[in-house]
Amino acid sequence: MTFAMTRITKPRGIRVLAVFSLLVTTIANTQAGNVSVIVTDAAGQPLADAVVYLEAAGKQPLSLPVRKAIIEQKAYKFAPLVTAVQVGAEVLFPNNDAVRHNVYSFSAAKTFELKLYSGMPGAPVVFDKPGTVVVGCNIHDRMVAYIHVVDTPYFARTDATGMARIENVTAGKFTLKSWHYLLAEKSEPSEQMITLTAADATASARVGVSAPAPR
Amino acid sequence: MRFRSFEGRIVGLFLLMMLVVQLAGFITIRSGIDHNARAAILAELEISERVFKRLLHQNTQRLREGAQLLAADFGFRQAVTSNDRETIVSALANHGARIGAATVVLIDRDRSVKASSSNQTSPALVQSILTLIDQAQDMQSQNVLIDRHPYQLVVVPVKAPLTIGHVAMTFPIDMQIVTDMKALSGLEVSVLTAGRDGKWLSDVSTLAKDEASGVAQQMQSLVASTNSFTTNLETSRGQFTVRALPIVRDADHVALVLLQRSVGEAIAPYRKLQATLLLLTALGIAIAVAGSFITARRITTPLKDLSRIAERFGRGDYTEPVAPRGDDEIGALSRTFETMRTSILRREQEIGRLAYWDTLTNLPNRARFSIQLSEAIRKAALNHHPLHILMMDLDRFKNVNDVLGHTFGDALLRQVAERLKIQIGGEPDQVARLGGDEFAVLLEMPLEQAQLVAARILGSLEEPISLEDQTVDLGAGIGIAGYPEHGVDAESLLSRAEIAMYAAKKTGNEAVVYDPILDQGSQQSLSLLSELRRALERNEFRLYVQPKVGLETGKVIALEVLVRWMHPEKGLVFPDNFIPFAEKTGFIRMLTRWVLEESAVLCHKLAAQGLDMKISANLSTRDLLDQELPTKFADILARHQVQASSFCLEITESAIMDDPVRAQVTLERLHAMGVELSIDDFGTGYSSLAYLKRLPVDELKIDKSFVMNMESDADDAKIVRSTIDLGHNMGLRVVAEGIESEVVWKLLAAMGCDQGQGYFMSRPMPADKLPQWIEQWVAPIITSDLLKISRFANK
Repeated sequence: MTFAMTRITKPRGIRVLAVFSLLVTTIANTQAGNVSVIVTDAAGQPLADAVVYLEAAGKQPLSLPVRKAIIEQKAYKFAPLVTAVQVGAEVLFPNNDAVRHNVYSFSAAKTFELKLYSGMPGAPVVFDKPGTVVVGCNIHDRMVAYIHVVDTPYFARTDATGMARIENVTAGKFTLKSWHYLLAEKSEPSEQMITLTAADATASARVGVSAPAPR
Repeated sequence: MRFRSFEGRIVGLFLLMMLVVQLAGFITIRSGIDHNARAAILAELEISERVFKRLLHQNTQRLREGAQLLAADFGFRQAVTSNDRETIVSALANHGARIGAATVVLIDRDRSVKASSSNQTSPALVQSILTLIDQAQDMQSQNVLIDRHPYQLVVVPVKAPLTIGHVAMTFPIDMQIVTDMKALSGLEVSVLTAGRDGKWLSDVSTLAKDEASGVAQQMQSLVASTNSFTTNLETSRGQFTVRALPIVRDADHVALVLLQRSVGEAIAPYRKLQATLLLLTALGIAIAVAGSFITARRITTPLKDLSRIAERFGRGDYTEPVAPRGDDEIGALSRTFETMRTSILRREQEIGRLAYWDTLTNLPNRARFSIQLSEAIRKAALNHHPLHILMMDLDRFKNVNDVLGHTFGDALLRQVAERLKIQIGGEPDQVARLGGDEFAVLLEMPLEQAQLVAARILGSLEEPISLEDQTVDLGAGIGIAGYPEHGVDAESLLSRAEIAMYAAKKTGNEAVVYDPILDQGSQQSLSLLSELRRALERNEFRLYVQPKVGLETGKVIALEVLVRWMHPEKGLVFPDNFIPFAEKTGFIRMLTRWVLEESAVLCHKLAAQGLDMKISANLSTRDLLDQELPTKFADILARHQVQASSFCLEITESAIMDDPVRAQVTLERLHAMGVELSIDDFGTGYSSLAYLKRLPVDELKIDKSFVMNMESDADDAKIVRSTIDLGHNMGLRVVAEGIESEVVWKLLAAMGCDQGQGYFMSRPMPADKLPQWIEQWVAPIITSDLLKISRFANK
């Protein structure tokens, strides 16, 4: 079973073509199963640091515990560059540089500012709205981190081979969304409908961006 | 300036050369200056172009920094993300004002104007901003044209930390920037813009508006290229060299910045230099002219001087030496002149010496003496000084010359000259030899002193001169004439002195001052001769007689006939005043004949009266040389029936010595006729006794000069006595002349002198007075004792 869907967005005059294709393999197990997703870019190349997540079609709440995340500052960089968190997750921003950083975000999903600090900030930042939060350092313009806040417990990030594995997904109907930071804050992720059984499933997704050169 | 002259040519040549050199220098420097000035302008413009670009760049930098500052501002970014428009606009205005930006615009991620510091944002500006954003990765700046005005535009992204928009700032390229540029570079700066039609308009300019328009006008033909270029423009302020710098070009418009340098201003300092140079050139020429003039003068002045000297030489004036003039050619020439002058002068002096000096005595000659005399007269006339000349003639020099030879005569003259010089002392020029045995002396002194000098001279000549074992006794006659009383020029003075000299010689060895009376002969010699002839015709001559008395007896024995001239106007003229003239002219022969004729008549008459007396008549040299005299005399005697023995003819020694041979012939013939002969003035001549012995003479007449002084002068007395004895011993009758006292008579009588004549007995008297005189004549008594004593004494 294959779905294809096309969206056209025009962020900053750059035409991004996103083509999603999903190969669904029906598995006999209706209990929980793992979903592996491979994400490629517009050119069909594996796309690292893409976030894939599954949203239940009915939007029924999932009662899974919310995972915390840590984004450290090391060598004037945020690490990791891309982080996906569930709504309500706490993210800690430890500063492991010798200099102080001023971590902020003006993103609509979460606006915050951690005034200049070293080491551990006083408290983690709670991301309570879904969306993309671009985090920067006010005194080091080049430092940037992306946090994609999703309203589902089923999410994962692609590795360097473009592979992501969402585990323990209960069977049911889901929308598979794929997001990459090059889509920027305001672009919508690509989506595809997916029906999962208890068995493991694999899917592929394409995000209409060009894979950035390795950092 | 006269270019014909040497001086003019030198100055002209110098001037020409100087002009050529200076002109060449001036032209070279002028073109160099022009070239350099233009090169300097170009260099200046290139530097200014870089400066201007730098200025623009700095502005951009400032703008960019301002924009970056704004874009990085946390609050601003917060305002942008929170879409707080009021805050955004105020922030834009605030930052724009801070750096003097014209407009600050915030473009959001949707490429629309989110906010602007100005109320209306030009669509052209927005378009420019968007174009720049599209070109930009990070931030960009560009010059843009907005509504035909050039702006510097800077666009920087606003990051949070992703780009959330762009801040754009514009900065006008306006009056401020061109003024700054002018202050920096000193150039005029204009901004021109041109639209699609290619028509250039002045935007802003440091030039006045109309000038800027003029510049824009001149740019019309130029097509703006993308590169800078240089051109020249003419404005009301003169030529400008212009560096045109395209600063912006878009599809429709072009903007140029013109950096304008006034060529005139750039060249002005050089012009000043040129003026200085011109002044120096003029000064150089002036100095060259002055220098060449002086140089020429230094050459020509000596040449002119030498020319004047040569002219002076031409006039015969060689007295002033030619001053030496250094070692150059002129100096050599002047030395040559000097050598020439001295040579000529020496030759002139030699010629002068030959012409004006007597080589024998080394005394001035007559010519020179005349000149000196003229000069002395001129001075005397000026200073009113007395001036006299002496003219001297030696006695008997002719005889000396004849007897002792010319060599001896010359030596004698030299001796006389020496004596004269010694006597005169002082300047030797005062003494001159006029010729023969004639000397002259120039004396600038009064008559009395001149007479003393004459006396001294005569005194010095009284001393006999010894030469070659011969001793010569010289005498001389001196004539004195003075200026101005006797003559006012040299010639007349000389002739008057000569007259006086002749008079002196007549009267014996003394000095005679000229007297007009003396002069009649010479002054009117021609008329005198005719007068004498007339006198003969008119019977103006008178026969005078002076008795000759026997000294022992006191009886009148004979008469000496003498001639006097009863001049109708001058009265009685003495023979001294016409006899020398008559002798000179030969008239004496007619006169002698007259005398002889009259004497014969007288003799005859006296005989008739019973007075039987011998007649003594004088014969002159000319008479002696007259071969016909004896015949004519015989004729006279015959005509008047007179015995030849009644006559005694008196001849002076000197008359005989003039031509002794012919004289002797005449005398012998006369003697043969029975005429007695007498030697007159015996003792004053040079005749030798040996010669006299041969003459057929009967009588000696002792010269009165001995007789007159014998009373007081023992020597004279001895001479008289000796002469008397000599005469007697030779068998001659002895007669004494010049008896003026009884004492002398008696002395002579005692000495045995036969006869005597003189004033004691009688002066010469007219012949018709004789009988009367004889009647009253009483002779002094001569005692026989006196005679005896004297005769005894004689022995």
